[in-house]
Amino acid sequence: MNRLIKNALVFTVTAVLLTGIVGCGSGKENLGNSSTVQSETTSVATTTAKSKVSLVFATNWGEGDSKYTYFDPKFKEFQKANADTMDIVLETNSTEDFKTKIKIQTASGDLPSAFTYWGGAMMNNMVDAGLLLDVDEYFNASSTVKRDNFEPTSFSYYTAADGKTYGVPLESTRGIFLVNTEIFKKYNLQVPKTYDELKNVSKILNQNGIIPIAMASNGGTPAEFFFSELYNQYSGAAEEIKNFTASRKFNTSNAVKVAANIQDMISNNMFPKDTVANGGWGPCLQLYTDQKAAMTYTYPWMFESIPEEIQKISDIVPIPKLPDADIDPANIMSGFTVYGCVIKKAAFTDTVTHDAMVKLCDFLASDDLSTNLTKSGMIPAKKITVDMNGQKLIYQKMMSYAEGKNLIQVHFSTIPSQSALSMLDTSLDELFINALTPQAFVDKVQAALDKK
Amino acid sequence: MKSKLTRPVILALFILPVFMVYSIFLMIPLVQTGYYSLTSWNGISQKVFIGFDNFNALMKNNDYWITFFNTMKLTAVSLLIQITVGLLLAYLLYQKTKGAKIFRTIFFLPVVIAPVAIGLMFSLFYNSQIGIFNKILTVLGLGMFQTHWLSNINTLLYAVMAPQVWQYIGLYVTIFLGAMQTIPVETIESTQIDGAGKTRTFFNVVLPQLSGFMNICIVLCLTGSLKAFDHSWIMTGGGPGVRSAYLGVFMYKTAFTNSDFGLGSAITITIVIISLLMTGLFNQFTAGEHDN
Repeated sequence: MNRLIKNALVFTVTAVLLTGIVGCGSGKENLGNSSTVQSETTSVATTTAKSKVSLVFATNWGEGDSKYTYFDPKFKEFQKANADTMDIVLETNSTEDFKTKIKIQTASGDLPSAFTYWGGAMMNNMVDAGLLLDVDEYFNASSTVKRDNFEPTSFSYYTAADGKTYGVPLESTRGIFLVNTEIFKKYNLQVPKTYDELKNVSKILNQNGIIPIAMASNGGTPAEFFFSELYNQYSGAAEEIKNFTASRKFNTSNAVKVAANIQDMISNNMFPKDTVANGGWGPCLQLYTDQKAAMTYTYPWMFESIPEEIQKISDIVPIPKLPDADIDPANIMSGFTVYGCVIKKAAFTDTVTHDAMVKLCDFLASDDLSTNLTKSGMIPAKKITVDMNGQKLIYQKMMSYAEGKNLIQVHFSTIPSQSALSMLDTSLDELFINALTPQAFVDKVQAALDKK
Repeated sequence: MKSKLTRPVILALFILPVFMVYSIFLMIPLVQTGYYSLTSWNGISQKVFIGFDNFNALMKNNDYWITFFNTMKLTAVSLLIQITVGLLLAYLLYQKTKGAKIFRTIFFLPVVIAPVAIGLMFSLFYNSQIGIFNKILTVLGLGMFQTHWLSNINTLLYAVMAPQVWQYIGLYVTIFLGAMQTIPVETIESTQIDGAGKTRTFFNVVLPQLSGFMNICIVLCLTGSLKAFDHSWIMTGGGPGVRSAYLGVFMYKTAFTNSDFGLGSAITITIVIISLLMTGLFNQFTAGEHDN
């Protein structure tokens, strides 16, 4: 009996091992041959026995993301309406996992048929490898979505060095500086317009246990965008950011000035002391929404996390002017395309899946979906009229504040390489814990840009 | 009926499954990684052979050396604390302490919890806004030691090390306790009849009998520290900068965040070399010990 059990056990273990080996060895694509495999791959999509086309759409707009509530029902509607002709697999991940997933899928030649993604440095490798579709091919094939339907400037973020555009812009954005009017009223304070006023206000707020500005840096967020907003207060800065992709120059006097000002703000206790714990979009905003901080700098993708009562008592104001700044911050506002949809070239050019791909992209770039997504705080890159009455109060305040403002770009949208972006983020974290001098911070980012 | 298979063939058949698993999952990827480390490759483009340029770049890379020394510090702290505390706790349990079984379970419990959960839990503990760590210090009258554990350049690395070191103490407690239970009771009893106290029994009788197990624990501790990743990644992402990153985290960031798979592979190879060197040196040292 014992012998029988032993034999059965040995057989089972051997079978499991062999199955594992066979299973792992059967993949047709692997990392080692990725470049070859990708160029030879004609399609990831397949047709099923019932001639239904299979497509994969990947996004970070899954559960937990501010757009989920507004995207998911519309996507399901689309899936249902096209159930006879296509099977669309929706793959969702949280933002950081999504970035890693796409990088790994890119390396393994297994990109989704279409996916939401960032442009600029984030998509360059895929463009260089010829994996993405020039979206003008899509606009030509589509009967409902045309290039003219979008703000012309929104394409720059998805335009590569070859002059072609590799993404359909979906989301534009604006950076806003919020003040909690109740806190200011409670301590009889005026909203600061200059750096000296900000220092005085910070002193009083600190004395009362209130953090002046909810701003920190963990993985570079949200500090990276705050850095750019301050940067644009200096003469020539807007041009420097605009030309950043080509110039690859971060080591400017303006960058050193901003870094020095940030360190001065830290030494004046304007930010939360535990920058790692309070860094990241969510934790930073939470200090403000919990009324532990009087001011913050945030973006529309966080609007879903601002409770209505906080929206009511929040005003959008210009960031106080830095001591040596040349440009009045009341006249400028960061505004740029930040997100869109990219299309896998192989899936689009495959005759079997082409029509389904056009249909899927038409849905993603539809007025209907864009309008629905505005409810999450998204500013559509498409030229559509947004009904303000249906929007969050903070969204209405932002759009009203943005009127007549000179829109400026941020480093994130024009930085030329992924490794430099990563270095900017991690070095900002170091700057915020006073581990780097302003010049050392700038030098680190420049060194990453200089690396070939 | 006598089997027609010769003994070498039978042995080979038994070894084959393990050999295949090791070849497929360890040796082949390792050889591939060795090749990638000699190339410039972003994961998508064609691999360009560049010889030892990646290794040269690493030697000049300040971040590499920071993570290298962080890993060495973790190794030293782990060896010092995990082995020592593990040994002491095991001996305490061996003394037929009241509730020994419960303590044994409690000590081992953290080992089976996912490092991700432990990392997340500790990052909340350390949070100076909502965490309990600073509050505990206040209650204990040690308020002057309060700090922003993960945002203070002086405490950051050690705050990240702590959960990893703490989590695996239970593993060594279990190994050492098991080892102590193999020592014949008569040996211990006769020592004590001869008048040896518990401390003397520990140093003169118990400890020498554990040398084989001690070597296993040291190798486990060394390799565990050299491949450390989870706690650092979850708590700080290795940052700010790379100040709380180990070599494993630096490798991941280089390969998967910066899309530099060539350099990332070179870091992996250096980890393998360091592991082999340390294990080799340790084996050499212990072999000499046995010879004596």
